[in-house]
Amino acid sequence: MQNNQPQNSQKVKLRPGQKNRPKNLNLFTIRLPINALVSILHRATGCILFLILPVILLLLQFSLSSAQSFESVVSILHSPFIKLMLLGLAWAFFHHFFAGIRHLAMDVHWMTTLMKARYTSKVVLVLGAIATLVLAIKLWL
Amino acid sequence: MLIELLTERYPGMRAWLTQRLTGLVMAIYSIVALLRFFIIQPENYEAWVSFFQPIWWRIASLIFWLALSMHAWLGIRDVFKDYVPNYVVQRVLQNILVVLLWIYLAWVLWLLLV
Ligand code: HEM
Ligand code: HEM
Repeated sequence: MQNNQPQNSQKVKLRPGQKNRPKNLNLFTIRLPINALVSILHRATGCILFLILPVILLLLQFSLSSAQSFESVVSILHSPFIKLMLLGLAWAFFHHFFAGIRHLAMDVHWMTTLMKARYTSKVVLVLGAIATLVLAIKLWL
Repeated sequence: MLIELLTERYPGMRAWLTQRLTGLVMAIYSIVALLRFFIIQPENYEAWVSFFQPIWWRIASLIFWLALSMHAWLGIRDVFKDYVPNYVVQRVLQNILVVLLWIYLAWVLWLLLV
């Protein structure tokens, strides 16, 4: 994104002392340290979990309403594509869970120096990956 | 001091603490739910229904959902506050959020009662 020079820069009235600096809002030029990665993923997964709530409630309702609809829910959940979606959703939950626990730990002043925080960020990512892997093995083996 | 921080004068502190406590409640429920699922391993409809039969489990599920509602309200509201600069649009979205969460809560109540 290099279109940060306003075309009509002649017309823009600048305050005294204000320079017509380029604004760099290209997200791909911002370095994302591992703590920031864990943090933004925590936000993203929180939103995903919220958005999926009606689907979960629908599945729950159908699976509990009668034996037939239970069978159809199970067969839906067993189709390969849905299993892949479930795995993605499960990862979202695991990540939000472990990153949330990390939040709680840091709130009671545990693991708060930069080096330790970077380390626990890695732990959160790895635990999320392991939990997802275990589920994948359970789903496909 | 903690008590003072939780009074009306510091609404942010309340939101912060609520977010943590509800997170904790949901974490505990999730672990228990997962354990129960792997111990009971409901394989058919009857087993699945009886998974939700015990009254203590229904109460726990209701508490979980209450925690989830508050947690999602505070969490998504923060996301709106950060990314929706237009105040009117932000308020509209927040109201939609509240309505949705109430509907979900009613839905869960109904699921747990019947
Ligand atoms: C209430 C929940 C569930 C019940 C009662 C249930 C029940 C069953 C039963 C009875 C079987 C044996 C079926 C057969 O032999 O063909 C089975 C197999 C299987 N289930 Fe589930 N299941 C549930 C949820 C899930 C979920 C959520 C997944 C994955 C996302 C899953 C993945 C599988 C897989 C991969 C098999 C092996 C399928 C096959 O051999 O074709 N199940 N399940
Ligand atoms: C499983 C237990 C959970 C734990 C331990 C947990 C923990 C947390 C914590 C500590 C925060 C505060 C983060 C901060 O202040 O930056 C948070 C934020 C959030 N949570 Fe959860 N949470 C859980 C489940 C859920 C669920 C089920 C949802 C979805 C309905 C959800 C949605 C959110 C959202 C949207 C935010 C705001 C994210 C942000 O502002 O960046 N959480 N969570």
